[in-house]
Amino acid sequence: MKKMNNRERTFFFMTVPILILFFAFNTLPLIKGFMYSFTNFRGYGSYDWVGLRNYADLFTDARVGHSYWFTIKFAVATTIVVNVISLVLALGLNSKIKFKSALRGMYFVPNILGALVVGYIFNYFFTYIVPAVINMMGGEGRSILASTKWAWIGIVIVCAWQAIAMNTIIYISGLQTVPEDVYEAGAIDGATGWARFKHLTFPLIIPFFSINMVLSVKNFLMVFDQIVALTKGGPAQSTESISYLIYNNGMSGGQFGFQSANAVLFFVIIVVFSVTQLTITGKKEEQL
Amino acid sequence: MKEEIKVKEKYNWPVTILLIIGLITIAFPLYMTIVIAFKQPSEMTNSVSGILSLPARWSLANFKEAMKVTDFWRSLFNSVMITAVTVVLSVVLHSMIGYAVGRNKARNKWYNLVYMYVVSGMFVPFAILMMPLVKQTAQLGIANIVGVILCYVVFYMPMNLMLYSGYLVNIPVALEEAARIDGATTFRTFWKVIFPIMKPMHATVAVITALSVWNDVMTPLVIMSGSGMNTLPLAQMTFQTQFGTNYNLAFASYLLALLPILIFYIICQKQILNGVVNGAVK
Amino acid sequence: MRMRKKMLGLIPVCTMMAAGFLCGCGGADSSSKTEIELVSYKPEAVEVFKELEEKFNSSHDDIHLTINSPNDAMTILKTRFIREDYPDILGIGGDINYSYFIDSGILADVSEFDGLSDINPGYVDILEKLEFVPTEGTYGVPYVANAAGILYNREMFQEHGWEIPTTWDELISLCDTIQSEGILPFYFGFKDTWTCLAPWNSLAVGLAPADVCQQVNAGSTKFSSEYRETAEKMLRMIQYGEEGPFAYGYNDACTAFANGESAMFPIGSYAVPQIKSVNPDMDIDSFVTPGNDSADGNTLNSGVDLMFAVTEECENKEAAYEVIRFLLEDENVQAYLDNQNAVPCKSGEFNLASNLDGMKEYIVSGNMTDFQDHYYPAEMAVDAQIQTFLIEQDVDAFLNKFDKDWTRYNRDIIRMVEEYNAQNK
Repeated sequence: MKKMNNRERTFFFMTVPILILFFAFNTLPLIKGFMYSFTNFRGYGSYDWVGLRNYADLFTDARVGHSYWFTIKFAVATTIVVNVISLVLALGLNSKIKFKSALRGMYFVPNILGALVVGYIFNYFFTYIVPAVINMMGGEGRSILASTKWAWIGIVIVCAWQAIAMNTIIYISGLQTVPEDVYEAGAIDGATGWARFKHLTFPLIIPFFSINMVLSVKNFLMVFDQIVALTKGGPAQSTESISYLIYNNGMSGGQFGFQSANAVLFFVIIVVFSVTQLTITGKKEEQL
Repeated sequence: MKEEIKVKEKYNWPVTILLIIGLITIAFPLYMTIVIAFKQPSEMTNSVSGILSLPARWSLANFKEAMKVTDFWRSLFNSVMITAVTVVLSVVLHSMIGYAVGRNKARNKWYNLVYMYVVSGMFVPFAILMMPLVKQTAQLGIANIVGVILCYVVFYMPMNLMLYSGYLVNIPVALEEAARIDGATTFRTFWKVIFPIMKPMHATVAVITALSVWNDVMTPLVIMSGSGMNTLPLAQMTFQTQFGTNYNLAFASYLLALLPILIFYIICQKQILNGVVNGAVK
Repeated sequence: MRMRKKMLGLIPVCTMMAAGFLCGCGGADSSSKTEIELVSYKPEAVEVFKELEEKFNSSHDDIHLTINSPNDAMTILKTRFIREDYPDILGIGGDINYSYFIDSGILADVSEFDGLSDINPGYVDILEKLEFVPTEGTYGVPYVANAAGILYNREMFQEHGWEIPTTWDELISLCDTIQSEGILPFYFGFKDTWTCLAPWNSLAVGLAPADVCQQVNAGSTKFSSEYRETAEKMLRMIQYGEEGPFAYGYNDACTAFANGESAMFPIGSYAVPQIKSVNPDMDIDSFVTPGNDSADGNTLNSGVDLMFAVTEECENKEAAYEVIRFLLEDENVQAYLDNQNAVPCKSGEFNLASNLDGMKEYIVSGNMTDFQDHYYPAEMAVDAQIQTFLIEQDVDAFLNKFDKDWTRYNRDIIRMVEEYNAQNK
């Protein structure tokens, strides 16, 4: 390495100790977990090395295949829903409105309610309230959570309901970085409404847009709590997410080795996915 | 600044009204939570009118009982402790690495690599880390609150790194250069110039990190099990077993747990609002 | 500059120290006493165990007992095993985890324990059968059992003069009668998949051989022939349940049954406390699910709900036995039964909860068979497969998948059984 100047050295020493910590509590256990993926380890006790059997099984297991399909479909849909709504919400909450603090506080609440509460309330909502409303309007109401075809929509709704708060906060803090004078300059040029958003606001908050995209994709690909709270993978195993399988069968069941292999595969897939996404948005940032 | 506030602001009423209407989606579930928290188990029914009706009697008995069952003050103290230390460490350490990486990743390969490496760490499913982490923390003798906090500092590093380095993009390097010309070292520049400027982002990071830590069950469950310490979410697991759940007590308890973090958020969001950058540059 | 860097490095250290300080060290002063720790997987029984713990400690000078009943005890136990931090006694259920623990060499042989002779041999046998391959010795002391079948609203039955059915045909005609009087016979609550296992188990004990899983592992039969009748009868049963049972969960079913929306609820005795929380005055009784054409073929679906197993790592086995001996004293067993509506595994006269009246003769005569699902590996998700089957109503597809998945999920166990059989020809 070429000789560093003072500034470079400071940066270096700011980074390395933290990286070591990160390595010790993230990468190291990951490597150990990777090793378990070649065993039939149950999580405790003795185990045998089984070579690539777990990986071979992964590609022939219909249940694993279905969980990938479900998770990806779910993640894409929820990411879009959440980001559209939270961007609109952030713009609203960031404009000159009355009761600003109270409104921001209220919109934050869904994120704090525990999974047990959210699960119970939305189960009630989908099982009793929605069908009752449809019946009142003369339709034939049924719980969407009991339908193998539509249950995933219920999970999208609940996840979006909970996640919007977080993404909104990030968008709001992004909007804070947009200097007032940019708008003032824009106003002189006559940029208002949609044009102002498209040409002035949005380009300036692209870093936050990409953070939100990556965080959403990550959070929704790893969806777990809401599945447990709402459907427990049912009906008929139609809503089993990848994390649900990894956790349920790896930890509660005796498939730790096999599910470690699943986790490794899953990890590789999202890393490839997200690094691509980051590189693309990173290029966009640089262009600005 | 002060004078600006005095100027009577014109409120955007249409947006305000739309936002208030949108609140129904939150007020309705919240109403259900509150009503259930006050009811007795014998008031629970499977009919819509039954669940929406007001409790027969407004009594704080459920809240008292929930506090007793969860050993509320002690669990609260532990939760606050873990959350506060994690947040402070995260803000200091993550903003530091965020600054180093954010300033350099565009032109330096090494920092770009560090960025990609840490951010990828976000995608490791916790289930695969769990067993090795349990073993590791036990071997290091930190199968307790310390281990849990260190795990959190690492778990939320990728997200916070993204947030901090993303925020830096809109902070002009010109600001630092002024300080550097005055003879300040890079670290001093960070601490005196950049760190204060990032205040809105600190608030954001604090809120998001605090919230995730506050609600998390898994990490303390596996790392601290057997240490005899409970966090609030751990204590709240008491309400739910496979064969029976006392929703009324549970809801009361969740409402109690919601308050501290909501207050924290309201304090922080004032900071998010104070966009120092506005007008200060360019 | 250098100072600053140093100070910065100190931040994590300081915080760690502060945190470590705050944890405190709450060691008990018990220098001369033997410490025994019991971890029970039943958080719902925490109160009665607290009482028993106090009673034990006040009557024993040489042993100090700690009973922990954590939530999600199985996860906690597994993580503690990883840390090699073993409790002395485990209070666990007789299910596949017990089989795994034996197979991992975690549990100690307790056949020398004198209290075993007082235990109903039926339950010792049930534990014996849970071993993947026959293993020398006994690894658990059965404490209490649960019983599953059909709960019914006794008041409603008396009001309408309905009789308790003892054969399958009687059950079906009873359902027809109930339905014709405008009442819903069953509430199922199949949204929570595990509830699907309740009627499944209680039908299967009478219709399939008790050791069907071992037989399949040994390669002598297939589920597609042994489980066919159970599957078909279960399909018949759900016709008498609520409409769209997959929309309602266990909790909904408990509430509905408690509010008199249905006459019967096919579930285990463990559901009674939840039902009574909604309707404390309800008079609940239960009967054995009559899956057979003759009453003689019926058997009670009952398994070991809680046993005490001593770990191999326990340093003072005699002290552990003393604890178990104490817990098995008649009045202590009775205290547990009263608190948890459970069935004792100890022989002798005990007062049973009134909701077990209809099962009493089976318990007394020892006519009982373990839950089939105690042999199913959790990761195979048989409960979800049954739910799928009830939705799609295709018996053949369900049973074929069952056979196929079984060999896949039990590969290592089947290999173990084959090796064992080859050696012990």
